[in-house]
Amino acid sequence: MTLSDQIDRLMMKVKKPVHYVGGEFGSVMKDPAAVDVRYAFLFPDTYDVGMSHLGMKILYHTINKRDDAWCERVFSPWVDMEQQMRENGIPLFSLESRTPVREFDILGITLQYEMSYSNILSALDLSGMPLRASDRKEGPFVVCGGPCAYNPEPLAPFVDFFVLGDGEVSTHEYIDVYKEWKASGRPREDYLKMISGIQGVYVPSFYDVTYNDDHTIRDVAPKPGTNAPSLVMKALVNDLTAADYPEQLIVPYGEIVHNRIMLEIFRGCTRGCRFCQAGMIYRPVRERSMDKLLELAQRLVDATGYDEISLMSLSSGDYSCLPDLAKEMVRRFYEKRVSISLPSQRIDTFLTETLKETQKVKKTGLTLAPEAGTQRLRDVINKGVTESDLLRSVRDAFEQGWSAVKLYFMLGLPTETDEDALGIVDLAAKVRDVYFSIPKSQRAPGFRITVSASVFVPKPFTPFQWCGQCSHEVIERRQQMIKREISRLKGVDFKYHAMDLSYLEACFALGDRRMADVLERAFRLGCRFDGWNDQFNYNAWMQAFADTGVDPDFYATRNKRRDERLPWDHLDAGVSKDFLLREWDKAQRAELTHDCRKGCVGCGLKRYEGACR
Amino acid sequence: MRAIFEFSKSGRLRFISHLDLQRFMMRAVRRTDLPVSYSQGFNPHPHMSFASALAMGWSSDVELMDIRLTEDVVPEHALQQMQSALPAEMPVHRCRIVSDRFPALMASLVMADYRVELSGTYISKVIDFIPSYLSLDTVMAVRKTKSGEKDVNIRPLTIALSAVDQRQLYMRLMLTPDETLKPDLLMDTIIRQCDAMETEYSIFRTALLGRDAEGNIVPLMELSDE
Repeated sequence: MTLSDQIDRLMMKVKKPVHYVGGEFGSVMKDPAAVDVRYAFLFPDTYDVGMSHLGMKILYHTINKRDDAWCERVFSPWVDMEQQMRENGIPLFSLESRTPVREFDILGITLQYEMSYSNILSALDLSGMPLRASDRKEGPFVVCGGPCAYNPEPLAPFVDFFVLGDGEVSTHEYIDVYKEWKASGRPREDYLKMISGIQGVYVPSFYDVTYNDDHTIRDVAPKPGTNAPSLVMKALVNDLTAADYPEQLIVPYGEIVHNRIMLEIFRGCTRGCRFCQAGMIYRPVRERSMDKLLELAQRLVDATGYDEISLMSLSSGDYSCLPDLAKEMVRRFYEKRVSISLPSQRIDTFLTETLKETQKVKKTGLTLAPEAGTQRLRDVINKGVTESDLLRSVRDAFEQGWSAVKLYFMLGLPTETDEDALGIVDLAAKVRDVYFSIPKSQRAPGFRITVSASVFVPKPFTPFQWCGQCSHEVIERRQQMIKREISRLKGVDFKYHAMDLSYLEACFALGDRRMADVLERAFRLGCRFDGWNDQFNYNAWMQAFADTGVDPDFYATRNKRRDERLPWDHLDAGVSKDFLLREWDKAQRAELTHDCRKGCVGCGLKRYEGACR
Repeated sequence: MRAIFEFSKSGRLRFISHLDLQRFMMRAVRRTDLPVSYSQGFNPHPHMSFASALAMGWSSDVELMDIRLTEDVVPEHALQQMQSALPAEMPVHRCRIVSDRFPALMASLVMADYRVELSGTYISKVIDFIPSYLSLDTVMAVRKTKSGEKDVNIRPLTIALSAVDQRQLYMRLMLTPDETLKPDLLMDTIIRQCDAMETEYSIFRTALLGRDAEGNIVPLMELSDE
């Protein structure tokens, strides 16, 4: 029986066969004999989550544009499927050709969030590959990229190399070298030497890590003879308009999280919110031209049949000609009943015009992220938004027919007090008042505010990388405090994240190579899909820490000295350490830093050629 | 005007649920330039329907999809458009353009033909049991419906049943809202009655049939349009 037949036999035994079927419209099939490089792209989560991810679509497209390479998709099988696969001896396979992952040349894994790390080990194991790179004598090279690659250390022993920064060009560079290496017949390690000079490539096995007596890092230095750089600079695509972007998308059979066209209008953000890793690591801002976006939109609508386009970016309201773009899109696609949506809408941009345009076709939900409840704390995090900005935005929205608003906050931000936490309730109450101040005849029924508070996780390459995470006790007390107070506001719901998960996330975000043992132990103890509430097993994780003798508080809650060598200091995300320290100091004084479009703030990006105009 | 397409759902795509297929086809017709008629309202969707849902795991080369159009098109063009809007693994075989008076596919459906492939140690028991099955007047089986379980006599719903060879059966079964026999229920009943327990089977739908003006059973695709 072929592997494909064996897979088919499992389909009626699992809850969501559509996640493993493949063969979707827009998926790329090639003759395996006609390509030099077979690339498996693993999104270490379920199909419906991974298929909603823009980065995967971009890399899938750009690799498959090559005649000499074939990129196929791999997702983490859900626990029922994994069990079936293990019981029946079926290895992890690609969706397109149903080829075992271990037969590929390169296994690319995207690191979107720390809580998918256990799925990565699970995937390697299910592929029949040794977990540790040093134990792998054959099979695909494992490369990881994505935002979490900026602190790759907890994954270092399992991964052959990481790529920091934009993938559109660097991916081709290491594929080209792979062909060269394969043709040369040189030993496996030589491939890593050959790519270690590519901008953005980090080969962890080429570095020695030494520690101080207090367990902090003394040094991370390239091993002699490897030629690895002592500071790895990220890969950067300066011209997004010229960069590859999909003109065809895979259209899944089942529903996925974001089942629509995603159009990345720009990359990067100039705002400088101090908690936001994306706002730091994706610098500088690079816009796609309006002409290019309209052309892509037209092609994608024709090619996919989707009836919704989502304009993606970290802060879509900042796109320099957003009103023109939105107006033109609505005009062009009205006939085809395609709606335009703007996620991650910031509250300080002038919404009205754009909102009017987008709701002409279909009304989308309004989500605002004040992040903190008081002005003092919003200044600490450099969220340059005032209460009056927020209230003006919601008034505009309510007057134009919105009645449901989601407000996003974080708990446990640096310098936060109980008063700041209660400020969240005050703000929700004021938003509520705005709605009821509008005459009944002029507002839409169905009033609802959802207040959502996540737990702040300090991230590398942000000004808060020196800050320890708030303790369980403090966070949980503030959560209960808010819950109690908000229950008095009719029509306002409060949702909050479990502290345990955020704590573990902090351990990995801020961890070093010693976290790898914890990860492997947790995987052996059965941890999988940690980002899924029904699967997350906090006790098993605590067991893993105990078994390996690693103290989670050392990583998560400890405040770091300004001169401490951080686990990712040998990597460069674009922003300089000087800048981050300056911002950390200003945060303590609740001092704002202006948007860099109003003048250079000296973040360090100018060290990259052509990065800033 | 309506366009009726005959397409396959087989291979790995047989594990796509009917609901997922419906949504997928809605997007597929948007990839064509066909003048599709849309519903009014907040979430407009194309006017389309299927002759019969194919259960997950069954294969078919004769599935029918009916799409209402706002103006006339030639079938060759409609066929080419639909073919290019679907993945290679879901081929479209034919297209027929019919008038609005053409009966609704679902309402015209009377019965369907199936081929069933058997595997397992005791499949000869199944083959040997067929004459006994056909000689009976009453064979009771439990039909699971949305409202619960129901005892039905499946024998009269079995229009034809025969062995094609030593591992394949042919069957023609009723398929109307009131009288339906699904091939898996028939197979499970036979397997239990002849005690061939570990027999496995794969189901292929080979025809969707209606009744013409003279009362003859003909494929739905060939009903007259007048």
